[in-house]
This record gives sequence, structure tokens and C-alpha cells, in this order.
Amino acid sequence: MRFSRFTWFIGLSITAAVIIIPLILFLPRAAESRDNPQAFVPQQITHTSHADLLPGPYANGQEVTQACLECHPDTAEQVMQTTHWTWESQPFNIPWRNESVTIGKINQINNFCIGVQGNEKQCMSCHVGYGWQENVDYDFSNQHNVDCLACHADANTYAKGYFGNPAEGVDLAAAAQSVSATTRETCGKCHFDGGGGNGVKHGDLDESLYFPSANLDVHMGQLDFQCTACHVTEDHVIKGRMVADNYTIDPWEQVACTDCHVEAPHEDERLNSHVASVACQTCHIPSMAVKNPTKTFWDWSTAGQDIPEDHYTYLKIKGTFIYDKNVKPHYLWFNGNLSYRYLLGDTIDPTQITYINLPAGDIQDPTARIFPFKVHVANQPYDTVNNYLLQPITGGTDGYWTNFDWEQAFELAEDVTGLAYSGQYGFTETWMYWPTTHMVQPSQYALQCTDCHGKESRLDWIALGYHGDPQIWGGRFQTK
Amino acid sequence: MPQTSQIKWSPLTLLILGLLFLISARQAAARQPKQEPVPANPIHPVFAILDETGANVLQSGNPLSTMQTCGQCHDTRFILEHSFHADLGLRDYSSSPQTDTAHSWDSSNGLFGRWNPLTYRYLSQEGEANLDLTTPDWIRLFGRYVIGGGPAATSRAGNPLTNIAARAEDPQTSTFDPVSGTYVAWDWQQSGVVEMNCFVCHLPQPDNAARIQALEDGRFRWASMATLSGSGIVEQNGDTWVWNPDAFDEKGELDGAYIALQDPDNDNCAQCHGLVHSVETPLTLAGCTLDNWQTATTGQIISGQKISLSGMNISDKTALARPWDIHAERGLQCTDCHFSLNNPVYYRASAETQPAHLVFDPRRLDISEYLQMPDHNFARGQSAQYNVAPELKDTMRRCESCHDAGSTHTWLPYADRHIQELACEACHIPQVYAPAVQQYDWTVISAQGEPLSLCRGVEGNTGTITDLVNGFQPVLLPRQNIDGKTLLAPYNLISAWYWVYDDPSGKTLPVREQDLQSAWLKDGDYAPEIKTVFDINKNGNLSSDELNLDTTAKKNLIAARLAALGLKNPRIQGEIQPYSINHGVVNGEWATQDCQSCHSDASHISQPMKLANYVPGDVVPEFVQDANTITNGRLFIEGNALIYKPATLAQDMYIFGHDRVPWVDWLGALVFLGVLAGVSGHGAMRIIAALRQPAHTPKVKKVYMYAVYERFWHWLQTFAIVLLLITGLIIHRPDMFGLFNFKYVVITHNILAVLLVVNAALSLFFHLASGEIRQFIPHPYGFFDDAILQAKFYLRGIFKGAAHPFEKTPVKKLNPLQQATYFVILNVLLPLQVITGALMWGVQQWPAAADALGGLPFLAPFHSLIAWLFASFIAAHVYLTTTGHKPLASINAMIHGWEEVEEHPLSVEEEAQHDLSGNDQTQGTQPESPAV
Repeated sequence: MRFSRFTWFIGLSITAAVIIIPLILFLPRAAESRDNPQAFVPQQITHTSHADLLPGPYANGQEVTQACLECHPDTAEQVMQTTHWTWESQPFNIPWRNESVTIGKINQINNFCIGVQGNEKQCMSCHVGYGWQENVDYDFSNQHNVDCLACHADANTYAKGYFGNPAEGVDLAAAAQSVSATTRETCGKCHFDGGGGNGVKHGDLDESLYFPSANLDVHMGQLDFQCTACHVTEDHVIKGRMVADNYTIDPWEQVACTDCHVEAPHEDERLNSHVASVACQTCHIPSMAVKNPTKTFWDWSTAGQDIPEDHYTYLKIKGTFIYDKNVKPHYLWFNGNLSYRYLLGDTIDPTQITYINLPAGDIQDPTARIFPFKVHVANQPYDTVNNYLLQPITGGTDGYWTNFDWEQAFELAEDVTGLAYSGQYGFTETWMYWPTTHMVQPSQYALQCTDCHGKESRLDWIALGYHGDPQIWGGRFQTK
Repeated sequence: MPQTSQIKWSPLTLLILGLLFLISARQAAARQPKQEPVPANPIHPVFAILDETGANVLQSGNPLSTMQTCGQCHDTRFILEHSFHADLGLRDYSSSPQTDTAHSWDSSNGLFGRWNPLTYRYLSQEGEANLDLTTPDWIRLFGRYVIGGGPAATSRAGNPLTNIAARAEDPQTSTFDPVSGTYVAWDWQQSGVVEMNCFVCHLPQPDNAARIQALEDGRFRWASMATLSGSGIVEQNGDTWVWNPDAFDEKGELDGAYIALQDPDNDNCAQCHGLVHSVETPLTLAGCTLDNWQTATTGQIISGQKISLSGMNISDKTALARPWDIHAERGLQCTDCHFSLNNPVYYRASAETQPAHLVFDPRRLDISEYLQMPDHNFARGQSAQYNVAPELKDTMRRCESCHDAGSTHTWLPYADRHIQELACEACHIPQVYAPAVQQYDWTVISAQGEPLSLCRGVEGNTGTITDLVNGFQPVLLPRQNIDGKTLLAPYNLISAWYWVYDDPSGKTLPVREQDLQSAWLKDGDYAPEIKTVFDINKNGNLSSDELNLDTTAKKNLIAARLAALGLKNPRIQGEIQPYSINHGVVNGEWATQDCQSCHSDASHISQPMKLANYVPGDVVPEFVQDANTITNGRLFIEGNALIYKPATLAQDMYIFGHDRVPWVDWLGALVFLGVLAGVSGHGAMRIIAALRQPAHTPKVKKVYMYAVYERFWHWLQTFAIVLLLITGLIIHRPDMFGLFNFKYVVITHNILAVLLVVNAALSLFFHLASGEIRQFIPHPYGFFDDAILQAKFYLRGIFKGAAHPFEKTPVKKLNPLQQATYFVILNVLLPLQVITGALMWGVQQWPAAADALGGLPFLAPFHSLIAWLFASFIAAHVYLTTTGHKPLASINAMIHGWEEVEEHPLSVEEEAQHDLSGNDQTQGTQPESPAV
């Protein structure tokens, strides 16, 4: 028979099918993992070595930038659109001012080193540009002033000095040849040391993240993420906004856990029911400054004394500090925006705490979730007649850090900030909220029920707007 | 000059420190705005504290009376009468010989009267020659567990203890005087009684240590007041306390700020029951001391803290990112399950006592009525302390009253069956990570008078925090529940050995601790006679190796020394007490989930438990019969150790992959190997025969032997049976096939079984409908002759190249031997296998059906035996297919349909049949002719 050669095959196939099909249909399937975050992590492209492409020598930073632009002609223009360059947000309309305002280092203050204006000499070491000097109109449109090396040079070959120019003694050719995609080191130089030192500003970003252990940060430690794994960058537009220097942030501008993780990834139904009211960070960042201490308190009023100095407790130029480790965050409702941002000239009530920024959201706000914050408390100068916070000139030949004369520092600032100084100053307590979102620990260290529920709760349920512990009283979306 | 520099620096340092202090204080004040002083308990009204006579203590200066003070609003008499915590066994106290107690000398089932070898001391009864514990001494010794009221206030006959005349011989009114070594009278009037102490359970921070100390000192009247120390209401004044007038208002009532009364929380219960850890500091626990009774006896720790975050030295700790107890982690309190029985929040009438038409009875106690008369009998389970308050057994809501196991165990094959046989705890308490008592040996004592004891679950056993804790796997014992079910549940088994003697009245009693010490010790060391016999290495000390009644000489010496104290017939007894483990529960993620944890040789179900590292005096202990467990496992000695291994088959349990009936497997394997040997031998002889003589080349013709459907069902059945045999074997012996996932193999086996049954049914239909069934029915006439003919062919003819005795034709494919074989297989083996298989599968749907036929212990081995027979059949069947004129002719035919068969001169009869039926498919009826 002609077909006898494959009769057996047809028969075998049919028989096998009759057996296999029911097996496929009825064998239970392993539950598919609901959460597959790895799928969303951008692939890091191997960077082309620039060692032979940029022979140098370069007389200054601008020459390096010109060399970069030869092959990457659009990049300077791209950088110049970002807040890394402008140091200023888009304009916001805010209820307590008639005209729209921008918020940024360029024009506002915080409660650390207080303000940049007039202090460009030092502060600009974290600006992605060259040559921004006080009292000199800075040309924001000069592409050659974009500092490519700030973010792309190997952090060991490059450093920035005064006015954002390359530091003395930097071998620009070596730095240029070392360029690559950004790393935790390049970003960390400014973001880990913001506020003048390691761990000053952020409770969740410090130098321990250069070589983090898995227990310190599961993403950067165990998985060795670089910053851009989450802060996805396209055309130099980096995803993610710092709420302290904004008023509202569009969700698409912000990095979220749900960029990679599903909304309710827990096996446990009870845990998933928390997601509507509790941010991921709340449980998964049980404490901040796990390895390196973070500054929680800064008292400017004690500055200028000739008493023994210690990096962690007292500096003559800055005053008294408290650094703290393993800090339990403050928990507030937070919808991603601010309800208030102190703007230069806003009047204060010096008998009360002045909030530099206040996270927006409350129990009634369905988009708000309970979120962990670092609170930085400061005692900073204000004008006792005009009742507004003062920004001193600290740097420079006549700044406070040289002469330790507050009067002089405030008078000098008048021209720079345009804010009158009455001649009377005092110190007042200010709070600044810093969202905690890095240093996510492995899940086994996440908060447990009893951390928030029951006698030993770290949350003040009444202050959050509940009748009492929602375990007993019911949550905001559920009556019990 | 270091000194100068120090003097120079310190003011500056002080300045900075002071500055920092001010700042941080200011900061703290800023963060937490100062609150107005509020009452500690906003609801509880203020009240006066009264003494025994009902007078305000501020005037009298006396210790308070809880009965009087709390009795101003709460019905303290009702509370006292409804509290097994107060009663502690007094109600069923009886000095007459008991039958339902653990020991013949027990006078009750509670702490007051039930002897426990761990605490050892015996509550003396009236008329006993040697007093051991008197009532006052019992309170002093067990004060930690005595909440007051009950036997601490009332005599065994039910009268106030203060009414009894003090006599040194009366075990109710005497106390042991260690100075004189005799018993002296106890004045209850002077000591006062221990009233039920409300504060131990209802204050957030009672001073339990002060209370225990007051009881130990015999200052019973002061115990309640001592509990208030540290609250600011009382101040210590030497051995007693005085009231702090600042804590009271001008009316003499206690200021609201001091009234911190609350519902009992876990820490309150922990004071008597076991280790509770509800704070953030890392939990530590060293050894298995009886201070934490429940933890010591069972290893249970009530804490929401993750084990990995504890401060204990636990092996592989970092991997144990699970709480000690999931319920503690989820914020449950002891009282959520062990609630007051008339608490309207929790109370729900049982379905049995409720009229059938009612789902919920809304007529219930009002909160105020409840607060006035709260029942202090608390809901209890039915295992731990089995005989305490037996009328309240199973009043508690158990796992299944809150959890819907059905909705969460969908992943588990045979979930219902598992739930029918296993208590939730069996899988949800897979391992206990705290040391627990393993054995207590009172047959010997240390120089300090202590028994030798060992903990389980810990390496080192030095009783310090550095010991490595491995934890232990509880032993699973069948527990008989009140509802009639018997479920496997986890237990710790504690074995104990001790000396008993015969009292002059004929009662057996445990040897008193003081007699033991007299027998062993002299002047704070072992008696010289003891050392002579025990100190084998003559170093002057008795090491733990030497301190062991491992020889008759040692045993006899102690017995003689006890007898010399006037104790008649001293002898060693041993007992094993099961302690039920119900706390320390894990959630599904950490529960036993792997099938092979139980379905394997090393099954949890029969997990042996070491009872003791050695057997004192060679006395094999007996299980104490006051628990609802069945202990019919095997007790055996391995090396020196005493082991208990639960039985499974003996408990009518057949665990697939673990249980086997050896003779079934031996017999089955023997049959299978016999067949293999037979066909191999036969085959070998055929090859030899074929080599010896010229090939038998019969005349052959091609016949269309098997229609498409016949071939299809045959091969489908072949695959199904072979796969069923393989999967069945894996289920039978999973340890030999570690590669396979037990769960998937079981499900595959079931699917294949359905396939086989459907295929068999369709095939039967085909054979019935087509009449082909006749081929399978042996023709009675001449059957045996034909069969013998066929057998002769296989035995002889085949080797000589003889022709087959019967021609294989499409209408008569089977020879008589085949017919007989298939007749048996299709009518006996297959149905039996299908029925036993179906019943085994149905053991969770219709357990009654399986039970009617002997349950799994019968069905499963039977199923295995038939499987062996099937396997044997297949071996023979495959071999016999090679006995055609060419070895592969028949197999080929089953594949392609066409078979080369030997041409036979047809017998007249057969020819006629063929002609009549007109069914000879070799000629023309088949559309395609064989390609010859």
C-alpha cells in the first residue's frame, strides 16, 4: 500500500492526541505569577567606548561639549528643556498668589542651605552647565555651556568646581573618554549628597546606594538597577519629579511602582485590600537611612560659634544638626501633589511651624494614599518685622560663611532675591516633607499587620482621619 | 596632659550636650503637642476602693478586697462562680479514688488536685500519712497560676478557708516549716485568703511579680494590692503597701487618671499561660523553663514578630520570614477566640440548641447586663487540658468557624478528603521553632534537688540563648473530636519518670520531693553511699552520664534508701503526656503544601518523635489516658532513645506513597517477574530451535485482520494502560521517582483512567453492535481440547516449526487460550480495577461507599495487586504477539490492519461457516488488496 508507510504515524498521532488533549485540558495549570516586573525593566544598551573617539586635548568644558555635539547634535537642546538645566518648574497657578509661579532652586528656598540665589559659586557644582555666576546674566541658550560630563563622565575622572565649571586639575580628555550611560555614581554625586553632604536631604538616597546590599535596596542591590531603570529617560527627559520643588505633578511624569508591578501583587487578599489606601512605599520601606544617617534637624541659630565642630552635630558655618539612622518615616495622606509650597515672600506666623511644603491629600481624597515621608525640621532665619523667611548670602567673599554676620548676609541678599530686609531677624521652626520611595527592602522586611494595627501602631489613625484602628473600625472604603 | 585636656573639654561637651537636649526636647514637644490629661479609661466610672469589710481603704488603710471593690457594680459572686480560672478543679475535687483522672492519686482534673510530673509536688489529701503540699503551700508554690478565689479562698468542702480550725495535720491548714522540717498550723485569719484578682487580667501593666512574691510569702490578703504596685495608686512600704492619697479625689474615690482598666489582652493572658511577645524588640527565649508553661510544654509562642527578626539563635533563621503566629500578627487577641461565653459581641447560639427555623436569635444580653454579670468561663477548645471544665469543651470557635477552607484549598487535589482526615493544625503548624520539654526524669535528682530534664528542638541544651534552636516537627496523633470526627492533629509528647510508693492506706503516691532529697542528698551534696555506686569515674561529682538508673545496682540502692525512709514498695513509673499544639499557626504560604511531605516514605503522618534520650530504670512509660488522642502507634527503643512512631494502617489510614502492603507487592512482583522469566525462556528456546532447524516457511496469505477502529481502540488502550501502570507506580512509590510531581501524576492517573473507561465502553459498544463480541466468548464445545491443542503448540510445536493449530482469521482472531485470557481480563480484572479505582477516587465524594468495601486500606492494595497482574499480562501479551509466523507479523497487523497468516487447509466445518457468513474479507470485500 502506498500510504502504509505512514499509517502508523497517523494512528499514533491520533491516539496520542486523544490522550494528550484531555491531559492538557484537565491538568491544573500552575497559577501564573500576577506580577512579572522584570518584563518592564528597560534593557540597558551596552555603551560604545568613547576612548578613541575623543582624543582631546580640551582647554575647557565647553570644548568637550562641542566635541560631543559633533556626533550628538540635538542633545544640548534636549538637556536645555529639562529642569536639570533650568532649575525651575513649569508655571503653576496657586490659590495664594494672583499670578502663576514657578518653583525651583533658581528662585525658591528650602530648609537646608536655604537658597541658591547669590550662592552660585558653590551651588552650581550640581548644575548641568558651566559658568553660572551670581550677578552675571547667564545665557541659558548657549549650548556649549551644557555640561555633558556632569552626568556621563566616569565619576572618578570628573568633578565640578565653582560656578559649575570643571574642578581644578580635572583631565578633561580623560573624563571625555570615559563617558557612558549614567550610573548610580553619576546621579548619586548630586542626588545622594544634596544639601551639602551624604544623606542630608533625602532619607532614602545616600552614598550607601553606590554599592547597596540586597537588604538595603532590593532594586539597586539585589537587582543592581541603575537609576534609569526606573527613571526611564528618553531624549534626556528623565521620568520622575521631586514633589518638594513642584506643586502638582502629572502622573505620567512620575515614576510609580506600578510602572513595573501590578496594582495588587500580593498573594494575600488581605494585603491587596490595603492597596487602595496605603502606598507601596509605606510597608516596603519600613525605615529610612538604614545604613548612613540622614539629617533630620538643622538649627541655623547656633551657627557662627567657635565651639568644637563635628560633621554630625555642629559646624560653625551651619549650626547644630541631628543625624538619625533607621528613621521611622512620618505618615501622611498623599496624592502626589502639594497643597502648599512656601514661596519667597510668603508671610509666616513665627509662633507656629512653617511648612516649606505640605503634601496634598486627606482621608476623603480617593486618590490619596498613606505615604511615608522624611521630615526635615529646621530653625531658620526670618524677618521679624516683615514676617517672612529670609534667604542669606552664605557663599562669596562677604557671605555668612566668611564673615559670620547675619545682617550682612541678609542685606547682600536683598538685591539678589528682591526681598526687603527690615534689619530685624529671628529664627523660626520650619518643616519640610521629603517623600520616601527608594531603599525598598526585600519583601520579608516589609511592615507587618502589628506595625500599624493594635497597641504598637506606628500610625496615628485618629490624626489620619479615622475613627480608630481600621482593623476594628473599618477602612475608608469599607464599613465594618 | 590628658587630665588637663579633659577638664578643658568637658564644659564644652556639656554645653553641646545640653544644647542638643534642649533642641531635641523642643523638637519632641513640637511633634507631639501636649495633650490635656485624660482619664486612662474614658468609659469606666470612678469608684472607691474598699477593704474586706466594705470600708474605704483610705480610711482603714487595709489592703483592698476585689470582691467588695469591683462588687460595687459588677456581680463579683456571679463572676467567681462562673470562672474555671478561679475554680482550678475545686468543684470536682474528691479524695476518694478517682477513675477519670490521669493518675490514681489525682483528686481533680484541675491544677488543684491533678498531679503533673513536671511540677511534681503533690497536693496532699485528708488522712494521708505523709503530707506533701498543703493548701497554703500549694498557693505559695503555684501562686503564678492562682488567680484567687476557688481553692485559694474556699475549703475542699466548700466553706470559707477562714472558718477552718488550724491543725498541723490537716492538709488545708498547715504549712511545711523548712527550719524544723515539720508541718505547722497555718492561720488563715492572719494570712487572709486570696481573693479573685481582677487586676492581673484587667490592668494594662499589672505588677505580676509583686503579686507572685506576696503569694510566695504567704501574704495572701495583700496579693491584689501588690498587683497595683507601679500604678501610682499604692506605694511599697517594707513588705506591705500603703495607699497613695494623691491618687484619690476629695470624695475618696480613685482618680480617673489611675483607672486604666481594660479588656484582657494577650500580655495579660501570657502571665500565666505562655510566652507572648507583642513589642518590636527582638524576641528571645532560652531553654524550656516552666515559667512559660504553654511555651515550655508545646513550643507555642504568641507573637506577630517574624521569626527572622527574633533575637534567637535559630537555624536558617533568615529564611523564616514568617510570624510566630499568624493570628497574633493579624492583630487577634486571645479573647477573640477564648471569649467570655455571654459576651454579646461574640456569643452565638449553637445550631443544635437553636430552633431549626432560626438563623440568628436577636434576643440577647444588653451590653450593660453583660458588664454587670460577665461570664468568666471562657470559650475553650477540646484538646488542651482535656478534662478541665469539660462542659465547656468546643465552645470556642475553631479554625473552620472563621475560615472557609473550601475557598482556599482549591489547589489541593482531594481537598475534602484531606479535610476529613486532617485537622487544620496538622498542615498549618508544620514546625515549632521554640524549644519544648521532651523529658523529665525524677528518678534521679541533681545535687540541687532538681530533676534531669531535656528540651526538644534545640542543640546544646544548656538552657541559654546561644543554644541552636532547630525547632521540632510535632507528632500527628488522631484526635477524637466531640462531633465524632477523628482528625490528625499536632502534639508534643512529654515523657516523665518518677518514683511511687504505697501509702499505708494502700494508695499509690508519688514519692515526695523531700523524701527524694533525703534519699539522695546529705548536707547539700550526694550521700556517700550514693557516690560509691554512682560515681563511676571517682571524680567526686556525678555527671549526667553517671546520674542515670541504668543498672540494677543503682536502682536497687535508691529503692532501698527510699524504703528505709518508710516508703513501702518504692518503684519507678513512667508516663507520656500528649500536649496539644493549636497556636503558632502559619498561613498557607508556610503551611505544609508539598504532597510528598506526607505521600512518601518519610511521611509527616508517621513522623516519629523521640520521647527520651534514655529510658530511666528501663521502665517503658505509658500514655496518660486523659486526652482525646488515639495512641496506637509503635513505642520502641532505638539505641538508648525511646521513640514513638504513629501507625497509619493501624489507624485505618492508607496514605498513598507511604503505605504499602508488602505481601501484595511481593506477590505481584513475583508474578510479573515469573511471566518475564517464562517468556524470556520461551523466547530463548525458540531462537535456539530456529537456529537448529531450517526456517519454517509456511505458505502465507495477506488478510485484512483489524479494522481501523479496532486498531485505534487497541492502541489507545495500550497507551492508557501503560501510562496508568507507570503513573500508578509513581504514586505507589514516589520516593523512587523524585523527578515527578506527585500532584500532577495523581491527576494524570485519574484522567487516563477516565480515558480508559470511556475507551473500554465505546469498544464494548462497538463489539456488541457489530457482533464482534462473539470472538471473545469462548465456544464451550471442544474448548478444552482446542485449548490443550494451543498449549501443546506453545510448549512443543512452536519449537519444531509446527504450524499454528488454528488459523487466525478476521472472524476468529483469538485462539482458545487468548479467549480464556481476555475473558478473565475483561470480565474480572478490568471491572475490579475500574471499581476499586473509582471508589478510591470517590473516597472524598462518597466516603461511605469506599468504607463499605473496606476503605482505602483494602481497596488500595487490591488495586495495586491487579495492577501487577495487568503488568504481567502485558508482558505475556507482547511476547505472544511474536509467535506468529514472523515475530513482528502480528504487531504489524495491529498497526496496518493487514496480517500475513499461515494458510491452513480449512476444516469442513469452518469452510461452511465462512461460506455461510460470506464474511471472508480476504476475498474482495476489502477495497484495497495487499501489496504483496
